Amino acid sequence: MTAWVSVLTISVALFLVGAFYLVVINMDGLLEEFGQDLTVTAYLEDHLTVQEMAGLAETVQSIEGVASVSVVGKEEALERFKEMTGGASLLVGIQGNPLPASFEMTLRPESRSAAGISILETATQGLPGIDEVRHGQEWIDGYARVASLVRVSGYVVGLVLSLATLLIVANTIQLGLYARRDELEILQLVGASRTFVRTPFLLEGTLQGMLGGLLASGLLWISFMIFTPSLEYGLAFLLGQAEPRFFGLAQISRLVMGGAVLGLVGSVAALMDRRS
Amino acid sequence: MGVVLDPEKSRGSGKFHPRGDYPVRMFHVSKSYSPGTWALQDVSLEVGRGQFLFVTGQSGAGKTTLLELLFAAERPNEGQILVLGRNIARLRGGAIPALRRRVGVVFQDFKLLPNRTVEENVRFTLDVLGTPRREARSRVFNTLRQVGLQHRRYDQPKALSGGEQQRVAIARALVGDPEILLADEPTGNLDPELSVEIIELMIAAARRGTTVIVATHDISLVQRYGMRNIRLEGGRLLEESQEGTPS
Ligand SMILES: Nc1ncnc2c1ncn2[C@@H]1O[C@H](COP(=O)(O)OP(=O)(O)O)[C@@H](O)[C@H]1O
Ligand SMILES: [Mg+2]
Repeated sequence: MTAWVSVLTISVALFLVGAFYLVVINMDGLLEEFGQDLTVTAYLEDHLTVQEMAGLAETVQSIEGVASVSVVGKEEALERFKEMTGGASLLVGIQGNPLPASFEMTLRPESRSAAGISILETATQGLPGIDEVRHGQEWIDGYARVASLVRVSGYVVGLVLSLATLLIVANTIQLGLYARRDELEILQLVGASRTFVRTPFLLEGTLQGMLGGLLASGLLWISFMIFTPSLEYGLAFLLGQAEPRFFGLAQISRLVMGGAVLGLVGSVAALMDRRS
Repeated sequence: MGVVLDPEKSRGSGKFHPRGDYPVRMFHVSKSYSPGTWALQDVSLEVGRGQFLFVTGQSGAGKTTLLELLFAAERPNEGQILVLGRNIARLRGGAIPALRRRVGVVFQDFKLLPNRTVEENVRFTLDVLGTPRREARSRVFNTLRQVGLQHRRYDQPKALSGGEQQRVAIARALVGDPEILLADEPTGNLDPELSVEIIELMIAAARRGTTVIVATHDISLVQRYGMRNIRLEGGRLLEESQEGTPS
């Protein structure tokens, strides 16, 4: 009886932690999506040969913080310009193609900040063949602030939830110990060693934790399946192109392991509290 | 009187225990739970192998304290206690369970597990000793037969009378073949006829070589048997009867 109470308690607690974790990884996905769109553009001088351009692209690719480099040739630049302006009327009367070729660089997540950008800027600006470097400064700062807010609050809330869970679990297991205090007393009277008395409780706590983790994963999946379709429009607005994501196997096993650790630590705490 | 300085000389001729074979020895033992009051004071005592001893005295005299000291549930403030050759005052935490596996205990309130069968209750001791399953089964059966309850082995304690429950508790204490059996008011909750039954089971254990110490305030019970008995009063060991041994 009390064993199932422990399993349920652990699963409810882990459900909360897991639901929060789910929100965080989806926010992360969203941030990643936005982050992909944050590019720094380096305009190239006109006289570069194709070989020089390829060599320069390689150099830029090796700069710290650069995730990818794509080359936009003069022709493509012109195409884009025409598309954007709805025709070539603005270019009438201008000889040839006045638009420069450029590199579009995406950033590694850790470099998506003002500091990361300025490092990149100094590194690229001096390179021979590069004319000018441009980026959307305001974008970058706002993005970096939101990203670190999501991450830090994720850690803080996760930590607080885990601690609260630990307390609840320790208390539940303590109740279980209380229910079996007669058995513990008699075990001690007939000379059971500490290990003999404790091992079954620790194993039981660990097992209850794992079951709780599994149950929580199941409940999370069911809620995910039920709620994401009905929230589709709201989510589409929030997540943009990003699909709502559920846990992978690695994250589910982390939840189960988390349950096991909670159960084990909770039992240890309960036994230490009892101390006899 | 209570103090025996040279037990070998004064009592060495006992027929039922060879020279120096005393599973229980106490030397000038005092125990206090709170400053200024003594639950036990300067108690010296020796109990030989296979001997049966009654500890009498009114409520609060220190009987339970004496048994708890022998069982390493409490530690003495003064004096030395040797149980099966081990110094209780210096016993490390891990050595206490090892000692308890060689000592059986019985209480006034039986301390049986209510939602286990009689058999499971008795087997508890053997589980802790690590006795193999088959052997445990037959030892539990034999011990239950000794106390006359083999036919009740699948019942739960609540289906049994008080006397029967205490017999189960005795079976649990004896099934592991302890060298010492301690009983604290084992007949305190029982009618006189049932009390006799219980005491006789413990006398039988003494005849088989177990050292038995029974604490009781029931003088009439003690007087029925010609056993050795000591009396505690206010924590002091007052008088010791003629040494009695089971016949
Ligand atoms: N755990 C304890 N804490 C404080 N005082 C105790 C404790 N156990 C016993 N005493 C005191 O020690 C004295 C002896 O008690 P006890 O050994 O239980 O006597 P008996 O078993 O003969 O009735 C009593 O005065 C009792 O109040
Ligand atoms: Mg008492």
